[in-house]
Amino acid sequence: MTDAKKQQGDRLSEATLIERAKLGDAEAFESLYNLHKRRVYSLCLRMTANTAAAEDLTQEAFLQLFRKIGTFRGESAFSTWLHRMAVNVVLMQLRKKGLSVVPLEDTMESEDEAPRKEPGADDPRLAGSIDRMQLQKSIEALPPGYRMIFLLHDVEGYEHNEIAEMVGCSIGNSKSQLHKARMKLREFLKTSRAEKATKP
Amino acid sequence: MTCEEFERVLPELGSGHSNELEEHLKSCLACSDLVGDLNAISQQARLLQASEEPSPWVWKSIEASLQQEGLIRQPQQERARTLVPLLGWKLRWLVPLAAAFLVVFGVLMHERRGVQPELAKRGTPPVGVVTADLMPSEDQQLLNTVAARMPSMRDAYEANLRSVNAYIRDAEQSANSNPNDEVAQQYLMNAYEQKAMVYEMALDRSLP
Repeated sequence: MTDAKKQQGDRLSEATLIERAKLGDAEAFESLYNLHKRRVYSLCLRMTANTAAAEDLTQEAFLQLFRKIGTFRGESAFSTWLHRMAVNVVLMQLRKKGLSVVPLEDTMESEDEAPRKEPGADDPRLAGSIDRMQLQKSIEALPPGYRMIFLLHDVEGYEHNEIAEMVGCSIGNSKSQLHKARMKLREFLKTSRAEKATKP
Repeated sequence: MTCEEFERVLPELGSGHSNELEEHLKSCLACSDLVGDLNAISQQARLLQASEEPSPWVWKSIEASLQQEGLIRQPQQERARTLVPLLGWKLRWLVPLAAAFLVVFGVLMHERRGVQPELAKRGTPPVGVVTADLMPSEDQQLLNTVAARMPSMRDAYEANLRSVNAYIRDAEQSANSNPNDEVAQQYLMNAYEQKAMVYEMALDRSLP
């Protein structure tokens, strides 16, 4: 079976599950949960860096989804709809904790915010030497707004138009945030590598 | 093109580059390294996708909430076990009351049809109390009624009542130990319903 046909088959299967879930089919709910639980949980975990909090948020995101499943009309992909809820749940949680979640549209390009590039510095490339654990730690160190966009694009594979719909920003803003997130990560990774190199 | 101009357009770059950008990348090691690093970060990040899984209790909690909210419909074979809609934990005080009502209803139906008035005089069984003693008096009365009308069925009904009483004892113990557990409350409700069904069947079959 070709990839395209398999994808079409998966979409039809998911559409069937959604219709059955609308009728209250318990197995359909569980199947939909199993199809999407990893991506939702991973997103929550990387945003909170806490397994208990991530599981609570995962539960809340799915409950909100299932309560509203009767209103799903298929205008967007089901996974996008689900992830939008997960994003909202995560952002609400961060705001409750008093963490600064800067509205994405307000994060303007500024000299103070953008990672500084040392002109003429002799810096070896990162390619081929990125440590996975160090990358995860660096992602956790990102500001929440950057982290969200980076996770949705580079980790989860969403396109900028999908991200813009999920988080409620413009496509241009999504691209800008992603670029800043990557630049920050580059800075963190190079710093970390330099620190390791100087240790005895 | 300068490095500053290149960095300004970098966020907008997709997979393809214009000739001008390609030329700058060929001639500028710093910008070439920058693009290489950013691509490496992006590629490594993709390997982190969905590598963790939530614990099984997450689904159990979701399922319990969906059942409580009535969003999940039980399969046909399970519907026979749940004669009344599930109550949320906030209404758990209604559980023993509902069960008592079911039992009393069966008794009143029996009285209305002119059989054994003694049962009606006895009133309701103690709410929520099923002891480990031999048959509660109401159960004994029911067995006496069955014995009078269908002697061959008396032993079967006695076995059924003992079984459902044990079920109620277990469910009560569980519900009392975990007052906030909706699943325990559900089991208790099911237990009471089972007993009500036994009464209903016994009274229906014993009628002339």
